[in-house]
Amino acid sequence: MKKSVMILGNALIILIILGLTVFYVSSEQNRIFSAQTEAFENMTVAMESVTTNYLLGEQQICNSWATYIDINSMSAEEAIDFVRKSISVPDVTAHILFEEDQGLAGLSTTARNAGSDDFSVSYSNISAFSRGFEYLREESDLVNVTRAYTNPVNAIQSIAFCCPITLNNAQTGLPQSAVLLRVVPVSSFEKKWVFPTDEYKAAEISLIDSAGDYIIKGHSFKNSNFYEFYQSYNSTTPAMLENMKNSVSGEPGILEITNSMKQRCLIAHARVNSTDDWTIVTMIPAAELDHLDINWTLAGIIAAGLLLLLVFNLTAMISFNRQLKAAVASADRANQAKTEFLSTMSHDIRTPMNAIIGLTTIASKNVEDTSAVRENLHKISLASNHLLTLINDILDISKVESGKLNLSPVSFSIVECAENLVNISQPMVKEKNIDFNFRINRFEHEYLYADQLRLNQIFINLLSNAIKYTEPGGRVCIELREEPGLTEKTIRLIYIVSDTGIGMTPEFMARMYQPFSRQTDSRVNSIQGTGLGLAITKQMIDLMHGTIDCQSEVGKGTTFTITLDIPIVEKSSDRMYLPPIKALLADDDEILLETTKDTLLSIGVETDTAHNGTEAIDMATTRKDYQLIILDWKMPDMNGIETARQIRSKIGNNVPIILISAYDSSDLEDSAKEAGVSGFISKPLFRSTLYNKLNEVLGNESTQIRQEENNTDIAGMHILVAEDNDINWEIISMLLQMHGIETERAENGKLALERIANAPHGAFDLVFMDIQMPVMNGIEATKAIRALDDSWASHIPIIAMTADAFSENVSECLAAGMNGHIAKPVDMKLVLKEIQKIKEEAKG
Amino acid sequence: MKRAKKWLVLSSMFLALVLCLTACSAKDATNTQISNTGFKPKLDSKTACSITVVGHYNNFEALETEFNRFAQYYPNVQLNYTFMDGYSKASSGILSTALSSNEAPDIFFTYPWMGDWPDGANIFESSENLADPALGIDLSCIRPNLLTKDEAGAILSVPVYTTTYGMLVNEDLFTKEKIAIPQTYAQLLSACEAFKKAGYANPIMGYNKGSDLLYPLFYPFFCAQVQGNETVLSAMNAMKPEAGEYMRSTLELTADFVGHGYINLENCNELKDNYDAVILRFFEGDVPMMLATGNTVSGTEKREAKSEAFTAHPFKYSFHPVPSTEKGGYFINAISIGFGVNKNSKNLTMANEFMRFLTSTSELNQMAMAKRMVTPCVDMSLDSVYAPFGKLDAQQLINTSELGLSDAASSQVSKAGWQVSNGYMTVDEAVAAYGNIQ
Repeated sequence: MKKSVMILGNALIILIILGLTVFYVSSEQNRIFSAQTEAFENMTVAMESVTTNYLLGEQQICNSWATYIDINSMSAEEAIDFVRKSISVPDVTAHILFEEDQGLAGLSTTARNAGSDDFSVSYSNISAFSRGFEYLREESDLVNVTRAYTNPVNAIQSIAFCCPITLNNAQTGLPQSAVLLRVVPVSSFEKKWVFPTDEYKAAEISLIDSAGDYIIKGHSFKNSNFYEFYQSYNSTTPAMLENMKNSVSGEPGILEITNSMKQRCLIAHARVNSTDDWTIVTMIPAAELDHLDINWTLAGIIAAGLLLLLVFNLTAMISFNRQLKAAVASADRANQAKTEFLSTMSHDIRTPMNAIIGLTTIASKNVEDTSAVRENLHKISLASNHLLTLINDILDISKVESGKLNLSPVSFSIVECAENLVNISQPMVKEKNIDFNFRINRFEHEYLYADQLRLNQIFINLLSNAIKYTEPGGRVCIELREEPGLTEKTIRLIYIVSDTGIGMTPEFMARMYQPFSRQTDSRVNSIQGTGLGLAITKQMIDLMHGTIDCQSEVGKGTTFTITLDIPIVEKSSDRMYLPPIKALLADDDEILLETTKDTLLSIGVETDTAHNGTEAIDMATTRKDYQLIILDWKMPDMNGIETARQIRSKIGNNVPIILISAYDSSDLEDSAKEAGVSGFISKPLFRSTLYNKLNEVLGNESTQIRQEENNTDIAGMHILVAEDNDINWEIISMLLQMHGIETERAENGKLALERIANAPHGAFDLVFMDIQMPVMNGIEATKAIRALDDSWASHIPIIAMTADAFSENVSECLAAGMNGHIAKPVDMKLVLKEIQKIKEEAKG
Repeated sequence: MKRAKKWLVLSSMFLALVLCLTACSAKDATNTQISNTGFKPKLDSKTACSITVVGHYNNFEALETEFNRFAQYYPNVQLNYTFMDGYSKASSGILSTALSSNEAPDIFFTYPWMGDWPDGANIFESSENLADPALGIDLSCIRPNLLTKDEAGAILSVPVYTTTYGMLVNEDLFTKEKIAIPQTYAQLLSACEAFKKAGYANPIMGYNKGSDLLYPLFYPFFCAQVQGNETVLSAMNAMKPEAGEYMRSTLELTADFVGHGYINLENCNELKDNYDAVILRFFEGDVPMMLATGNTVSGTEKREAKSEAFTAHPFKYSFHPVPSTEKGGYFINAISIGFGVNKNSKNLTMANEFMRFLTSTSELNQMAMAKRMVTPCVDMSLDSVYAPFGKLDAQQLINTSELGLSDAASSQVSKAGWQVSNGYMTVDEAVAAYGNIQ
C-alpha cells in the first residue's frame, strides 16, 4: 500500500471520528437546547399566570375603590380623598379623570409639587387611552390597564389600572361619569415581575399590546415598539413581519431574533389572558439555554492526540518501511551472498572433484604403473580430504546460522589434542617449508572437560589459516599455555597462533568473522578455502564463552589469541618420574629451551642448555656426565643430525641422543639414525611426551605405551554391517578385511535386527549401523535390538556409521542405545580405535 | 519534493483542525472588541449603576448602539432610554417634574427653544455645566456656533443632532425621464413642468399639516434674506406689524411656486404625519421630489424595509436643498436635539463620564450616521443621502443659532408661508397680519 494512501486513510479516519464527535455533540446540544427552549417557553406561560394574578389583584383593588365610591355617591373631592386614604403603598397614586373632559383632566391623590395644594392632573399630552373610556363600562372580566406612560404628576413611568366610577357633581347634583386610575410605578411592578428561577437570570420580560407597543419594557428590549425593535436588528420583509405579529398574538410559542448586541436570542410569547390584547414576551440569549458544556480543551487534546497518533503511525510506518527495506536489502545481500556462495562452492567442490575424477581416470589407465597409481591415489586422498573439510565447514556454518551448533563436552587430554594438532599440520608445514614452532609451557592440568572436537576445530582452523596464508619460508608459531582460571576448577587456556603471512587489511578484519569472507589478494586467490573457517571459529569460541583477538598488518603477518576458560578434570595421572639423570638440551629457541628444561626437571631430569649445535658439541665433549642429549633438528649453525653425528664421533654411542622436530620425522629417520640419533620426538614437548620418549630411549619400561598402532588383536573379529549402499558396504568391508576383520552385511535395519535376533551367541562382536536405510532405519533397528529378550543380542555393541554427522544426530544415536558414532566418510583410524575400544571393553 | 508535499498536506490538516477548534471556542469578536475611539475611562470599570436618558424619541437605536459601545468600558453600567409622554410640549412641564422626582433621569433631551418654556429656568437650574474642565468633556469637536453658553458662561447642553430642510429626490425617476436634478429655482420649475408633462400627478409633494408645506422652500430663502440684518431681525423679533414687509419676497416666492400648480394640495393633505407617512409615500416611487426636514430623512433608511413598494422596486434617492434662487438653495443648520445632564443625578459622575464618551467626533458622527441626521461635529461626516448639501458654498450655509431670529418671529414666517401656500391668505394679507398670524 502506498504511503500516501495510508496517510489519507489515517486522516480520513481522524476526520470521521472528529466528524462523528461533532455530530454527536451537535445532536446532543440540539436536544438539550430544544428541551431548554421548551422549558423557557413553559416558564413564560407560567409568568403569564403570575402576571395575570398580579394584574387581577391590582385591578380588584381599583374595582373595590370604585365600588365604594359608587355606593357612597361621592363627589370628586370625596372620592379622591377616600382613595388617598386607602392607598397603603407609598409609590402608588390614584387619579380620577372626568369623562366629560375626554379624560384629559381630573384630580390626583398627590400634588404636582411638594407642599402644593394643586391636586389637578392633566393627561392632555398622554395618549394612554387611545380607545377612549367607553369600553371600560362594558361587562368584562378583563383587566383594564394602560400602557406604561409618564405619570403627569410625578413624571414617573407608570401603568394605571382603570375602573369607571360615577361621582356626585356637587355643583349640579347630577351624576358625573369619571374613571378611577390606580397608578403604579413601572419600577414597582418590575420588582415583582421577574422570572421565578435563577436558571433564567439573563431573561428579560416585556409586555406589549397588539400593536407591539411596550406596556412594560425590559432593559434589553429596544425601541418603543417590539416589532420596531425586531426590524432594527433583524432583516425582514413586511410579509415576514406580519407573520411574526400573527404568531406573537396567537398561541404561546417561541421565535428567534437578534438583539441589539448582535446576540442570537429566543423570544417566548404568551397572551395575557386577563387582558384583551396584551402579550407577555420574554427574551433570553440563546447561549444561556445552551447548557451543554463542551470541553473544547479536551476536544482539542483529543484532536491533537489523534493527529499525534497519525504522525506516530506515519513515523512508525516510515521506520517499519525502512526496516523492511533494510531487511529486503539484507535478504538481497544474503541471496547475493548465497548465490556467490553457491558459485564459490560450485567452484570449490568441482576443483577437488575434478582432481578426484581426473586422477582416478589417470590411475585406471596406468594400473600397471604402481608408482604412478600410488602417486595418484595420494593426490586423490588429498583432494578428498579437502572436499570433506569443505563439506564439514558448510555443515558447520549451516548449524551456526540455524543456531543448532551445540557443544558436546568430554574429558580429553590437551596433550593429545596438541599432538594431534601437530600431526595434522605437519604435511602442510613440511610442504611449504615453513618454520614451524610450537611452544608449550608446562601444563599442570592435562585433562580438561570440553568439546574436544570443536576445540580441535578451533585450533586447526587458525593453524591451517596461518599456514595457508604464510608463504614458503615464512614462520608460524603456536603458543599454548595454561593460566590460572577464574576458579580452582578451571584453567585459562591461551592459544596464540602467529604467522609472518600476508596479513589482513583493517577493512577485511572488520568483516572477517562473517561467513564467506575471504581476504582478496592476488597471492591467495589460488589458496583453497570456503571463507567459513573464521566464522565457525568465532561462533564456537562464543559458544564456549571465550574470546578471540586478532592483530594483523598487511605484509607482516597475523596473530590470533584465543582465551578459553575450561574446566579441569581431576584425573589421577601416572607418576612420571625418571631416575635422576643429567641431560643436555640444545635449541636455538630460548623460550623452548626454558620451557623444555622446566618440563624435564618436572620428571626428574636435570638439564643443561645449549643454544646451537657447536655449543652442544662443546658441552657434550667437555662434560662427559650427560646421560641424555636432546637436540633440536633445526638450528642455525648446525642442524640436529649433524650435531648428533659430531657428538657421537667424540663421545661414542653410550649416551642416547633424541632429535626434536617440529615435523614428521619419518623423512629424517634414516639420516638421523645413521648419524647416531637414538630416538625422535615431535614438538610440542609435553611432559608425558618427554617422559614416554625418555623411558623408551633410556630402556625403561613405560607405563604409557600406546597400542594405537597395534591392531593385531582385532583380527578375527566378526562385525555385522547394516548398510544399504553397495559402495559404502564394499568400502567398509574391504577396509576392515585389511585388518583381518570378518564382516557380514544387512541391507536394512530390519535385516540387521533379524540377523542379530537369530544369530548364535558370540556370532558378532560389533554392529556398524547406518542410520538412513529403507524398510527400517538404524535408530529403530537399534531400539529393536536393545529390546530383544536375548541378553547377548540386546547388549551387543552398536556403532553408528552414518553421514548424519551433527551432534544432535550423535545424541539421537546414543539415546537409541548405540555405543558410539562414526561419521562418514569414515576415518579408518577412528574406526580401528572404536573397534579397539570395544575389544578392550569386551576383555574387561 | 514529494515528501515536502506530504508534510505540507499534513501541516495544512493540522492547521485546519486547530482553526476549527479555535473557531469552535472563540467568542464572538464583535462582542468583545473594544472600539478604537481613543476614549480612556476615568472611573473604575467595575462601577455598577443605572443611567436613564429621557426624551421625546419613540425609538433611539442610535443611542442604544452607543450604550452598547459604552458598555465595553463599563460593562456593569445599565443605560436605558425612556420615552417620556409630553416631553417636547412646552406646557407639559414634565421634564422639570421628572428632574425633581424620585426617579429623576440622569440625562435628558434639550432643545434650543427650551429656555422659552415655562419651566425652562427650572430645567437649566438642574442642568450640569458640561463645559466644566473638571468633567474633561472635549467640546472642541462640536461646531462652535452650535454651543450655547448661559450668562455665567456655562454650557448646559451638548448638541447631538442638527437638522436641515430640503427635498428628497428620486434619482431614478430623474434618470428615467432624462431630467437633471434642479440646482436653481428656474430648473426646479422646469423639472416640475417636465414631470407633469410626463404624466406625473405629483411632481413635488410635502406635508401640509400645521405650518410645514413649502417650509423647506421658503424658510431657508427667508433666512438668507434677513441674515445679518440687525434692523430687520430686531423689528421682526419685536413683532412690529410693519416688519411683515420683510416676509414679502419670501411669500411671493411661495405664491409663485404654488401658482404654477405643480404641487397638489389635496394629495399633500393626505399625508397624515411628517414622518412615516411622508417617507412611505415617497417610497411609493412615483413622486420625483418630496419636501422634507432632516428629521424626516432620518427615518428613511429604516423604512425602506417597511415599504412593500420600495422593497419590490427600490430606487436611488438623495436629499437636496430646495433651489429657491438662481444661485441655488440654502443649507439651514439647526440643532435638532441636545443632551443635558441632571446635576442632581444619583449617578452624576457616570452620567458625565458617558457624556465625555459621547462627545467625540467619532461617537457623534456615528450616532448621526446611524440615525441619518446631520452631525454637530466640526468634522462633518455626512451620510451619502446628504451629499448634495456638502457641495454648497459657505455663503449658502445658515446657522439658525447665529441668525438671531426669535422663535416667535420664526413661527410667524412659517405660518405666513403656510397660509399663502394653501391659499388661505394672499401675500398682502399675510404681510399685513405679521405678529398675529395663526
